[in-house]
Amino acid sequence: MRIRSMKTYLTLIVLFLFLVVGCAHSPSHTSAVLPQSKSSPQPILLASNAGEIPVKSSSKPGDTIDDEYKDDQNLDYANDTFKEEKVEIADPLEPFNRAMHQFNDKLYFWALKPVAQGYKTVVPEPARIDVKNFFSNLGFPSRFLSCLLQADFSGAATEFGRFTINTIWGIGGLLDPSSNKELNLQKQDTDLGQTLGVYGVGQGFYIVWPILGPSSPRDSIDIVGDYFLDPVSYIYPWYAGEGVKGYEKVNATSLRIGDYEALKDAAIDPYVAFRDAYIQYRLKKVKARKARSLIFKVEETSTPAADAALPNK
Amino acid sequence: MKKQFAVLSVLIIFVLSIPVYAGVPMTTVEATVNRVLDVLRDSKLKSPAAKEKKKEKLRVIYKDMFDEIEFSKRTLTRNWNKFNPAERVEFVKLFEQVLEKSYIDKILDYSNEKVNFYKESMLSDNQAEIQTKIITSSKEIPIFYRMVLKDGKWKVYDVVVENVSLVQNYRTQFNDILTKNTPEQLLEILRKKVKAQ
Repeated sequence: MRIRSMKTYLTLIVLFLFLVVGCAHSPSHTSAVLPQSKSSPQPILLASNAGEIPVKSSSKPGDTIDDEYKDDQNLDYANDTFKEEKVEIADPLEPFNRAMHQFNDKLYFWALKPVAQGYKTVVPEPARIDVKNFFSNLGFPSRFLSCLLQADFSGAATEFGRFTINTIWGIGGLLDPSSNKELNLQKQDTDLGQTLGVYGVGQGFYIVWPILGPSSPRDSIDIVGDYFLDPVSYIYPWYAGEGVKGYEKVNATSLRIGDYEALKDAAIDPYVAFRDAYIQYRLKKVKARKARSLIFKVEETSTPAADAALPNK
Repeated sequence: MKKQFAVLSVLIIFVLSIPVYAGVPMTTVEATVNRVLDVLRDSKLKSPAAKEKKKEKLRVIYKDMFDEIEFSKRTLTRNWNKFNPAERVEFVKLFEQVLEKSYIDKILDYSNEKVNFYKESMLSDNQAEIQTKIITSSKEIPIFYRMVLKDGKWKVYDVVVENVSLVQNYRTQFNDILTKNTPEQLLEILRKKVKAQ
């Protein structure tokens, strides 16, 4: 009896060790190895037939690295936990968009950047941050309304609190006391385009507006929205308002000179790179807003219950 | 007897599974980023002449931190198999150079910024995402590192800056180019890009 129980004991431990070791080796990989070893000799043979290539590949040190350059049948990353959602957008206006992209690029390098750089040398950074805060505070109506429409009431309350506190104690919005650690009321970076997105409206297609930059029919609602909701639009005469908006743009640019250049320099095709970055950015924003929305949060949690109720009908 | 086995087996599972990944990806990223910051803040390397030395040091850290082959594979996805092995080797090398040249000056500009490591999410046994934030005087930049466990080492294969995944961004670009061009032509574009930078 004793011996038998000892045996089971041992078998169990061995089994566990086996299981654990098996886990650590990530089984998904082993499945990739089989087709790999089957298909790899062919391309390599082909390559050596081509002549000049083996010289190059043999200069690569270490055989273990070469292994990684083999064919891979597992390139869909379909089982990937981080599988990037397909973020593509139709671009029927590509020729027009590319032209506008060029136009905005030149506008940046020939006008906006030099002005912002001059402004940067004259005005110290803390003052420029104050100006940024001031304009950001003026953007309150659009953010507040968007939060309300998205049924994100805590977000709306946060925005309302921020606006009140920053306007009264932040010297008309120059300072941002509400985002400090004690109050911790963070800006709800949202707009009407995202609101439509939360309700399931798709981007449609890509469009690059002159001066305003990347957008889509859906996100263009913000151009209209800002016209009505941004207090700066109500400055009389209209060109004074435009001047103020231009100044806001220069100030914002002065705080991030170099960002555009870095993205552009890193890109192989800057137009496609900016298009993709814009789509990815907006998609994640909409997703984040959806997670905050009262309507959609409730719907998500209630679906299993709704499904369960269906068969009873 | 059976109960004892059950208890024992549960215990074994717990004991063996905990130490395997207790925040290893997070500590890996944190250690590496701190190494980068140490180089950037090194008072001995402050002079402009020491810039090359700094770059050399950063290169060593970069190699240690990133899995450039995984990075290349993920940007090319299915197109990877259209390249022959020699082209793959060249692609990985050129792509690495493009990235280095476009980002190193940006990285060298950083010095006083604070980096905050605030979240690690394990999404499978061998994949993790580390969420960090760079806090500058005027803004916060969220940077997420996606990592994969390979041969017992956590390596970065994607960087997500302000919600934009680098892998995804290059994937779209390469896809666009490769629908109209051959792999060799793409390599030529990259060669030109490296030369121009």
